[in-house]
Amino acid sequence: MTLLEVNDLHVTYAGDPDVEAVRGVSFTLEEGETLGIVGESGCGKTTLAQAIMGALPDNGRITGGEIIFDGQDITHLSNRERREIRWEQMSMISQSAMNSLDPVYRVKDQIKEAIQEHRDASDAESYERARELMELVGLDPDRVEDYPHQLSGGMRQRVIIAMSLALDPDLIIADEPTTALDVIIQEQILYRIKELQRELGNSMVMVTHDISVVAETCDSMVVMYGGELMESGNVDEIFNNAHHPYTLGLQNAFPSVEGEKRDLTSIPGSPPDLSEPLQGCPFASRCPFAAPVCEEEVPVQEPVDGHRVRCHEPVPFEQIRDRSGEDETWLSQNKV
Amino acid sequence: MGLKEFVTRRIIQIVVLYFAIATMLFFLFRAAPGDPLAAYIGTGFTQEQAAQIRATFGLDQPVHVQYWKYMTNLVTFNFGLSYITGDPVWGIIQDRIWNTLVLMGTSVVLAYLIGVPFGAYLAWNRGTKRERFGVVFALISRSAPVFWTGLLGIWIFSFKLGWLPAGSMSQPGVTYSSKLAQFTSPSFLRHLILPALVQAFYFYSLPALLMRNSMLEVMNEDFVDFAELKGISDFAVMLKHAARNALLPIVTAFAVAAGFAVGGSVVLETVFAWPGLGREMVRAVIANDYPVAQATFLILAGLVLVANFLADLAYGYLDPRITYD
Amino acid sequence: MSDQNTTAFDSESAPDARDTELSTWRERQVDAWRRRLAFLKREPMGLAGILIMLAIILVAIFAPVIAPYEPTETDYGNSLAPPSAEHPLGTDNAGRDIFSQLVFGARPALQIGLLSAVSVAFVGMNVGLIAGYYGGYVDDALMRLVDFAYGIPFTPFIIVLVALWEPSKWTIVGAIALLLWRQTARVVRSHVLNLKEKPFVKSARTVGASDRRIIYRHIAPNVLPLVFLYGSFAIAWAILAEASISYLGFGDPTAVTWGQMLQSAQQSQALARDAWWWFTMPGMAIMLTVISAFLIGRGYEEQLNPELQEP
Repeated sequence: MTLLEVNDLHVTYAGDPDVEAVRGVSFTLEEGETLGIVGESGCGKTTLAQAIMGALPDNGRITGGEIIFDGQDITHLSNRERREIRWEQMSMISQSAMNSLDPVYRVKDQIKEAIQEHRDASDAESYERARELMELVGLDPDRVEDYPHQLSGGMRQRVIIAMSLALDPDLIIADEPTTALDVIIQEQILYRIKELQRELGNSMVMVTHDISVVAETCDSMVVMYGGELMESGNVDEIFNNAHHPYTLGLQNAFPSVEGEKRDLTSIPGSPPDLSEPLQGCPFASRCPFAAPVCEEEVPVQEPVDGHRVRCHEPVPFEQIRDRSGEDETWLSQNKV
Repeated sequence: MGLKEFVTRRIIQIVVLYFAIATMLFFLFRAAPGDPLAAYIGTGFTQEQAAQIRATFGLDQPVHVQYWKYMTNLVTFNFGLSYITGDPVWGIIQDRIWNTLVLMGTSVVLAYLIGVPFGAYLAWNRGTKRERFGVVFALISRSAPVFWTGLLGIWIFSFKLGWLPAGSMSQPGVTYSSKLAQFTSPSFLRHLILPALVQAFYFYSLPALLMRNSMLEVMNEDFVDFAELKGISDFAVMLKHAARNALLPIVTAFAVAAGFAVGGSVVLETVFAWPGLGREMVRAVIANDYPVAQATFLILAGLVLVANFLADLAYGYLDPRITYD
Repeated sequence: MSDQNTTAFDSESAPDARDTELSTWRERQVDAWRRRLAFLKREPMGLAGILIMLAIILVAIFAPVIAPYEPTETDYGNSLAPPSAEHPLGTDNAGRDIFSQLVFGARPALQIGLLSAVSVAFVGMNVGLIAGYYGGYVDDALMRLVDFAYGIPFTPFIIVLVALWEPSKWTIVGAIALLLWRQTARVVRSHVLNLKEKPFVKSARTVGASDRRIIYRHIAPNVLPLVFLYGSFAIAWAILAEASISYLGFGDPTAVTWGQMLQSAQQSQALARDAWWWFTMPGMAIMLTVISAFLIGRGYEEQLNPELQEP
């Protein structure tokens, strides 16, 4: 069953000038599934996550499209109505999770607060649940008595993860949950998140700039660039059969322990300025395969069932795939 | 460093500071031009009589002997004898200490009760006209001298409306079984309200503006956003998370506030003819009654130091991150 | 903001500036003034404060011209007269014109207020600079001194000092300055501690600049805005202190001051006699002067945002 449906969503930040950070994004998320949203910083993925959660900053507004969660249109809900969904059905792990704990309250009190806001639980019940949750994320349950400053960064992150599970929500949105941690902890936490998801059956949206994280934890994924989705589909499908030049470029840019040793290639250039309206494909200026037709409206193609690509494919796909494996293609920016 | 070491260290610091202040005071009075007993020893006194009077007050001794006596006496709360009445100073002012404490204590508490929520309100309404006006109003309150607002208060509430007494602490001729009985009597409370409110009105702007600044800083913190994410209501977030964290610096400021309140008692008590330390000090200074003036000053200074110390303790208690080092 | 100031001051303070540098220095000055005016427009509070203060300063300077009567001129036949055409703010119990007293009262208030503030700023800034820059024993000793100053209750101390010596303007200024510098010193010191670590100080040291030069040519200019801020507050505190002193009767007996007017009013039973013009006006004057100083400081503070504290 489709848990989350996002249709042609547009999100704009009011300002001088206005910035449209999300420009017509559409995707669906099934129950029990994990969706990865991957892209560079500034592509709009955090905004997208915040919009779904209803946690946009004061100057952010949904200016088009809709978000349908569990059959309900939540796009324009008031703050009060949102509060009822928040945490109980949808929770969020934000990037700065380590600073998300109030320094003057103990961990157990902060977990208790989350629980008692939405449920009629007694102090004793909440305490028990808090201990349960700590165990769930691999922390010593006695540490619920601690204050945040007595825990390390990684532990605090896990507390936040534990808290996001407190009410067994249907959907958890994780925005770069492991970026601020060191690599070893990252591994542990990602593994743990995956385990928990299997155990508890919640759905998850994982926002990250690290495509390998998506490979490890997600079932389906979308690639975001310049506020739009470049490619979306099943993770295996996209990894083995990526069609969009940007996706291919991203895959090159991340190290992999397996496979043959090769140099990393990064994509030269930088993301577009989102305060300007864009014509055509946002990636065109950095794409080695771009042709004049890319300046115009870009259609979404569907080469394989469930796998969508927003690209004109001015050059036959096989060439794109082969050529993007070569560093030359990216570094010289020779339009093929 | 644990609590015990911290407390010991602070107490030693305070004692040293106190004795430094006492020493300064001693030499200040000695260094002043004129004879302390000049007003007292009129032209009618003979040399021997004058000498005898000086001897009574120990003024014929060399300075370092006087100093030593002075300091050792301090420890036993022996402040000497009044130049005017010849009575032991401690007896005169003992009562007054409570009168001042109750008045100043009430004003400070009122000031904080008004100021802190007001400050939180201002911060929560950041950028609005309401906030602007609020800040200006707080500044106006702080610019109006206490003796002026006191006079206006007396005029309006006592002379014009007849609701409250025009000053002093109690009705003449009434006696009470104990200090406590006196302080809880309705008559006392009627006398207390106006001066306490007047002082609180002058004072509330400090906690208000401090709280506002503190809240503004805290409101930007991630954990405030997170609390909202958890679905907690705006009001609860403001109270439980923002305000609670913002209060920490307010507590330390309390020490400074108490210091000012104590000092301000000289003016407030004079306006309202309140029989406290402040008024006593002013009278003693005017009458050149040095021992009384010294004693009242020292006690006022002592109260400030104690307030500072209590504020340190309170802060350490409130902020779990502090480990007393 | 401090870095901008640094470069501006660095080249403008160079005594061997060439002509080409001079023209850019002039341009920089013009630009600095332009920025200051722009800031004023943004902060109506600061602007209001400055205007009020200027008005009061003018009143003080032109007092003999503005006041219709001599402040001490008595007229017993006309005592406690309510405001009228002859006496716009009425008279006191000796028939003296309230308005004239008010106008002349601005002089001691401003003299003491401004003088005290300047002394406080000067002493506080220097103590803060030296303590912050040198650290170690110097810092410890100076900070003990600051602690000591904080331990002494403000108004009582001034009373004692003024009563023991003579109640002249200078004693009052001295007494106020003797304590009020404490806050400026603390604040400047912590700012200096911060600035000490910045690259421009380190490079000055590497170049071999003397301590004195580093402190006064490089660090001090960056600390000036803070000093100005606390200096404005000091004006307010000083005026209030002076008013309290004269209200209590320790002021300069030869001068007409607002505080003293209120004392006379209370002692002459003005309250019972409903002579509202006598006891409302002086307080208003004090309040207006003090708030103008606060507004100036507040307007500036919005730009700097340090913690707002009592001295």
